[in-house]
Amino acid sequence: MTPEERSWAGIFLSFQYPIDIPGVSISNFLKTALSCRRKAQGLPELTPSEFLALRKEKMALVQMKPEFLKRDVNVGFSGGEKKRGEIFQMAMLDPDLSILDETDSGLDVDALRIVADGVNRLHTPQKASIVITHYQRLLDYIVPDFVHILKDGRIIKTAGRELVAEIEEKGYEGF
Amino acid sequence: MRVSEMQKVLIINERGSEGLTYALAEGESLSLVLFVLPEAPNAVIDLPVQVVMDLYGQFELHALALAGGQQKVNIRVDVAHPCPDARSNQLIRCVAGGESRIAFEGLIKVQPGAIRTEAFQTSNNLLLSEQAKVRTCPQLEIYADDVKCSHGATTGSLDEDEQFYMRSRGITLEQARLLQLRSFVWPVLAQIEQEELRASCDEQVSRALAEMFPGL
Repeated sequence: MTPEERSWAGIFLSFQYPIDIPGVSISNFLKTALSCRRKAQGLPELTPSEFLALRKEKMALVQMKPEFLKRDVNVGFSGGEKKRGEIFQMAMLDPDLSILDETDSGLDVDALRIVADGVNRLHTPQKASIVITHYQRLLDYIVPDFVHILKDGRIIKTAGRELVAEIEEKGYEGF
Repeated sequence: MRVSEMQKVLIINERGSEGLTYALAEGESLSLVLFVLPEAPNAVIDLPVQVVMDLYGQFELHALALAGGQQKVNIRVDVAHPCPDARSNQLIRCVAGGESRIAFEGLIKVQPGAIRTEAFQTSNNLLLSEQAKVRTCPQLEIYADDVKCSHGATTGSLDEDEQFYMRSRGITLEQARLLQLRSFVWPVLAQIEQEELRASCDEQVSRALAEMFPGL
């Protein structure tokens, strides 16, 4: 599958280091993304008012200011803004499976809370999120149902959230 | 001191006559926005631009050249600073696809006595095919002290990391490339102050891009 086909199938991959695209506004970027997907799915394009309504709803969900939409994708964003931008994109694309790759890297506590809050708000029993992290910190805000330890590309241990405390105490050494 | 401000927007589609020449009056300010969009499949366009600055003059050039197929575009820009306290700034962006050739030569000459001159020049080039060629040659000749001058050039192809990022959000490769091209040409279009004119130039540039690089 191509990257765009995976996206159309409902998979969202957040980047640890999101790429900046000068000259392309977030709004235009997301309009293009939604229009490509709807076309691929044989659906009619969203009307401008439908797009605006969706945008407004999702912005509220991740507590994003409207000025943000006019900015170029990730250009001049702080670490926290980039991650928040990723969560906003995730909200707009409404994926069934989200893969958040080290979303907590480079975030201060406030930014971490905002991002985690966004992830929690978007989560429903019908959706799944895979959160990849090295630290417990993020998991204080996003409480996992399952914890897997991945080593050399394989899952070597699976347990409930109690595994986080165990790792925090003993490190990864014993696994 | 007479101060006048003016913007000229020119679209060049075919081989022109003798080129463009501007001698700025004292305190005059000129913004030139130039589109070189060859039409015939084997068009050859030579465009010399000559500008002579005067005291307190200001000159801005924003140029965009697109070439595809067998087209050839040669742009030469000479900016002379014979007087003190003038400022010039140039941004030249070129997109070459197919087997086209684009050459840009830019010379900024700061003559003796032209102190406190500010003169800048940037040449950015985008190659869309293996066979396309861009030659860029920005030059500075400075014969005065106490000046601020810079020049620079970049040449590259569409960034694949950007494309992967966009595709991972559901944007097709073709649309991703169009966004990238749009991002590349926008700084020139954005200079046009009059909104209707900007929209009409935008339309012509978009059409030229679509015709010149079908399927990219």
